[in-house]
Amino acid sequence: MTGAAWTALVSPAVAVVLIALAGERITRRGAGFLAAGATLVSFVATLVVFFALLGRDAEERSESSTLWTWLSAGDLRFGFEIAIDPLSVFMMLVVSGVGFLILSYAVGYMHGDVEERRYHAYKALFVFSMLLLVQAGNLLLLLAGWGMVGLSSYLLINFWHQRGSAVRAGKKAFIMNAFGDATFALALFILIAETGTLSFAPVFERAPEALGEGSTLATLVALGLLGGAVAKSAQIPLHTWLPDAMEGPTPVSALIHAATMVTAGVYLIARTNPLFELAVDIQHLAAILGGVTIVVAGLIALVQTDIKRVIAYSTMSQIGYMFVGAGLGAYGAGLFHLMTHAFFKALLFMAAGIVIHALAGEQDIRKMGGLGRELPWTFRFMLIGALALAAIPPFAGFFSKDAVLASAANAGKLGWVLWGLGAAGAFLTALYTFRMLFIVFGRQASGFVREHLHKERFEGPLAMAWPVAVLAVLAVVGGLLQIPGVWHAVDDWIHPVAESIEEASGATAILSALAALGLSLAGIAVAWILYRRPSRAPERARRTAPWAAQLLENRFFVDEAYDVYFYEPASRGASFLHRFVERPVFLTTLGDLGASVRGGGRRLGTAQNGVVRSYAFAVAAGAAVLLVVFLIAS
Amino acid sequence: MTTALILLPIAGALLVWLLPWPTSRAAGGLALLVALAELFLWIVAVRGFDFGSGTLQQGADVTWFADLDASYKVGLFDFSLWLVGLTAFVGVAAIAYGMWAGRERPRAYFGLLLFLTGATIGVFSAQDLLLFYLFFEAMLIPLYVLIGVWGGTRRAVATVKFIIYTMAGSLLMLVAVIALGLANETFDLTRLQANDNPWIFLGFVAAFAVKAPLWPFHGWLPDAYREAPTEVAALLSGVVSKTAAYGLIRIVLPSFPEPVVDFRTVILILASVGLVYGSLLAFRAHDVRGVIAYSSLAQMCLIVLGIFANNASGLDGALLQMINHGLVSAALFLLAGAIERRTSTARLELLGGMARGRPLLASLLLATGVIALAVPLSSAFAAEFLILNGVFDRGWGYAVVGALAIVLAAMYTLRLISAVLHEDVGSAVHPQALDLRPAEVAIIGALVVALVALSFWPAGITDHAFTAVLSAR
Repeated sequence: MTGAAWTALVSPAVAVVLIALAGERITRRGAGFLAAGATLVSFVATLVVFFALLGRDAEERSESSTLWTWLSAGDLRFGFEIAIDPLSVFMMLVVSGVGFLILSYAVGYMHGDVEERRYHAYKALFVFSMLLLVQAGNLLLLLAGWGMVGLSSYLLINFWHQRGSAVRAGKKAFIMNAFGDATFALALFILIAETGTLSFAPVFERAPEALGEGSTLATLVALGLLGGAVAKSAQIPLHTWLPDAMEGPTPVSALIHAATMVTAGVYLIARTNPLFELAVDIQHLAAILGGVTIVVAGLIALVQTDIKRVIAYSTMSQIGYMFVGAGLGAYGAGLFHLMTHAFFKALLFMAAGIVIHALAGEQDIRKMGGLGRELPWTFRFMLIGALALAAIPPFAGFFSKDAVLASAANAGKLGWVLWGLGAAGAFLTALYTFRMLFIVFGRQASGFVREHLHKERFEGPLAMAWPVAVLAVLAVVGGLLQIPGVWHAVDDWIHPVAESIEEASGATAILSALAALGLSLAGIAVAWILYRRPSRAPERARRTAPWAAQLLENRFFVDEAYDVYFYEPASRGASFLHRFVERPVFLTTLGDLGASVRGGGRRLGTAQNGVVRSYAFAVAAGAAVLLVVFLIAS
Repeated sequence: MTTALILLPIAGALLVWLLPWPTSRAAGGLALLVALAELFLWIVAVRGFDFGSGTLQQGADVTWFADLDASYKVGLFDFSLWLVGLTAFVGVAAIAYGMWAGRERPRAYFGLLLFLTGATIGVFSAQDLLLFYLFFEAMLIPLYVLIGVWGGTRRAVATVKFIIYTMAGSLLMLVAVIALGLANETFDLTRLQANDNPWIFLGFVAAFAVKAPLWPFHGWLPDAYREAPTEVAALLSGVVSKTAAYGLIRIVLPSFPEPVVDFRTVILILASVGLVYGSLLAFRAHDVRGVIAYSSLAQMCLIVLGIFANNASGLDGALLQMINHGLVSAALFLLAGAIERRTSTARLELLGGMARGRPLLASLLLATGVIALAVPLSSAFAAEFLILNGVFDRGWGYAVVGALAIVLAAMYTLRLISAVLHEDVGSAVHPQALDLRPAEVAIIGALVVALVALSFWPAGITDHAFTAVLSAR
C-alpha cells in the first residue's frame, strides 16, 4: 500500500522529467498522452490505496511512510514523508481523478500550440505538486507542495508569455501566494519552537499542552496558517489574483483555478483542525471571511463580461462555502462541497473551453448568443454544470451546499449570520450563472457568432468531448454520496482525521434546504426575466444606481487599493532608497573615497619637489614638533 | 591532502603562466584540466572524510615562526569541506566559461583565475591566524588585476573602490589578527582561548562585513559586480564572498563568545536592514547584473542572520545557503554574460521576449531564478527556512522581516525573468540572437543540476556539518 501511495506521487514527476529530456523526440500529442497517462497511473494507484484502507477498521487507517531525511538541523529532522490516511486519500482521488480528465481534455484543447510539450510538462508538474501537498506527512513538506503548486500555477498562467497581461497575472498570483507562504512559514516556526517537530501526529498531540488552548501562541499559529489558506484559496482579502489567472489556457483554469489548487486552503484547515480548534476565534474568522467572499464574489460575478471570469468569481464564492463549513468545524460538509465543486466547476470550465474553442478564442459573452442551437451538446453539459452550481436537486451541488448551510444553521448566532450570507449567495449564484447561460446559449445568434463559429464533429475534438461527458455524469450523481439524514459517506470516511461537529437536526436541515432552494429558483427566475432576451432592464438598473455599478465593475477597488497601499510604496520606497541613500551615500560619497585619496596623494606628492631647502625645513619642523611633544609628555 | 588541494591550483597557475603557447584554447584548456583535477581531488577528500568524528582532518602542520607560535597549519572541518567543494566546482565552471568566451592575454588571465581558486581554498582550510590572513590577502590580488585589466569600460573606478574598501577592511583585520595572536600567545586557530575584547572582535567583523559585503559596507559591490568579467563576477559573488561568512563562523563565533552576545542585536538589526534594502534595490535595478548584485547583498545579509542566530538551525541554514547562493549567483552571472554577449547590453528596458525560439536559455534562467527566489522544495527554501527558524529564536521580528524579504525576492526575481524572457521583443534583442550554445548549456546546466540534486537532499549537507561545533554545546 505504501508502494502504491509513493507511485501515485512519483508518477507525474517522472512524466515531467521524461518530457523535458525527450525534447522533440516525442510528438507534441505524445507529451500530452504521457502527462495524462502518468496521472491515470496516479489515480489507479490511489484507488489501490483507497481499497486497502477501506478493508481496515476506521481507527487503523492512518499510516505514514518516510523515504529519507530531507532536512535536518541539530535535533530537528524533517523526513520526506507521506501520510496515508482517509483525508489524504480523499484529496488524492479528487486530484488525480479530475486531473486525469482535465489532462486528457487538454490534449485536444492545446493541439497545435507551438509549445505544447512545455505545457504538458508544466501540467504534470502541477499534478505532482498538488499530490505532494495533499500527501505530505509533515507541515514542512506540506509547505513545500504549497509553494510548488504556486510555482506551477505561475508557469501555467503566463504560459502564453507574449501577452503582457498573462505575464502580469502570473507574477501577481505568485507574489500574493508568496505572502501566504510567508505567514504559513512563520506559523511553522512557532510550532517548531513549542513542539520541536512538524510531523502531523506528534504536533497535533503536543500542541494542546505546548501552545495552550486559546493562548496568544495558538492564535498566531492559526492566523499564520489561515493567511496561507486565504491566499491560496483566493478568499477576501487576498483574492485579486484569481480572476486575473484566467489568462492561462482554459484547462489550466479548470484544473488549478477551480478543481484542485484553490481548494487547498480548505484541505489545510481540515488537516490542521487540531491547531485551529485551539484558536476558535481564528477558525471562526475563516468562516466569516468565507461568508463575506460568498456574497462579494457573487455580486462581482453579476457584471463580468468574460465567460471565464464569471466562472472564476463563482469559484471564489463557492470556496467561500467550503470555508464556512471548515471554519465552523463541519469538515465533512466542506470537503464534500470541495469534491462536488471539483466535478461541476471543471465541467463548466471545460464546456466554456469548447465554446471558446469554437469561437476562435473569443471570451466576451456580449459577443455570443444563440449557441444553444449550434452547440446542443455543449449546451446540455453547461446546463448540467449550471444546475449543479445553482444547487438545484438532484444535481451534486444541491446536496453539498445544503450540507454546509445546514451545519451553519446549527452553529449558534454566528452560524445564523453565515447562513444568511450563504443563502444570499445561493440567490446570487443562480442569478449570475443563468445570466451567463441565457446570454451565451439563448437569444439569437449574434453577428460575431455567425461569422466566427467553426464546428467540428462532436462540437469539438473527441479528446475534449469525452472527459466533459464523464464530468457531466459525476456532476449529476456525485451528490448522492452524502444525503442528510440518510447516509454520510464523506463524514464517516474522514472522521478519523477530522471529526466533524454534529449535523443539524432533520427539521432544521429540511427548512434550510427548502429556503435555499427557493432562493436559487428565484435567482433563476430573475435571470430569465432579465436576460432571456436582450432587454434594457440591466441598463436601467445601472442608471438608477451608477455608484453600485461602478463599485462592482471595479471589483470593489481592491486591486487599486493594493496598488496604492502595497505596490506603489514598495516601488517608490525602492526608488527613494536608490536616489537618496544608495547613490549619494554609498556610490558617491564613500565611492569617492578612492578619488579623494588619490587627490590627497597628488597633493602630498608635491612635497617631494627635489629642493633641498624644503626638505631641510620639513626635517627641522618635524624635529621641533617632536621636541614639543616629548617635553609635554615628560 | 589539504595541502594538495591548496597547492594544485597555485602550481597550475604557475604552469599556465609559463606555458609556451599564448592561445586562449591552450591556456584555458590547461587551466580547465587543473580545475577538473582539483574537483577530483576534492571528491577523493570527501570519500576519505570521517563525518562522524567532527575533528580537524587531512591536515598538515609545519612550524613557520616558532617565536610567534605561527605555523603552516591547514586542515578541514566538515563544514569547510563543503565550501572547498563549492570553490572547486564554481572554479571549474568559471574557467570553462572563460575558455569558451575567449579572453585576451589568456595565460595571465587563466593563471590568475587558478591562483584565485587556490587562495580561496587556502582561506577555507587555514588553521593559523597569520596563514588565514595571508590567504585572505592573496585572494584579493588576482581580483584587483582581473577586474582592473579585463573589466568593463568603467573598470578603473570599480577597481579603485574595491581596493580602497577591501584594503581598509584588511588593515583592520591585520591589527585584529596581531592583537588576538599576541593575547593568546599563539596564532594557532585550534588553540585560541575565548577573548572578550570588543575592539578585536569589531576589527574582524568590519573586515568580513566589507568582504561579504554587508550593509552598510557594500559601496564597492555594484560597480565591481557590473564591471568584472562574467566569470570573475561569478567567482567573486559565488565563492569569494563566502570567505567572509566562513570567517565569521570559524574565527568570530568561537573566539569572541561574549562580544558575540553583546553585539548580536546590533548585527542582527543591520543584517535585517540590509536584507530589505538589498531586496528593494534589486527590485529597482535597471540592469541584469544590478539585480544579481543587490540580491547578493540581500542573500549575504540573510546568511549573517543565520550565523548570528548562532544555533543549530541558523548555522546549518547559513552553511546550506552559502552553498546554494554560491551556485545560484554563479549561474545567474554566467547567464547574464550569455545575455550580454547576444544583445551587447544588460539594460532591462532593452531586453525582453528572449524566450521565443530560445528554449534552453529560457529553461535555465527560469530554473535558476525560481531556485534563487527560494521556491519551496528547493534547497534555497530549505536553507532560508532553517535560517529564519534559527533567528526566530532570537526574536520573532527578524523572522518576520526575513519572511517579508522572501516576498520581495519573488518580486525582483520574477521581474528579472519577465524582463528578459517575456512579452515584447526588446530593441536590443536581434531575431538572429542564438539560443545558448552547447558549451554554455553544459557549464550553466552543471550548476543547475547541482542545485536540483541538492534540493533532493539538503540534509546531505546539514547532516554532515558542524558535528563538533554543535555537540560541544
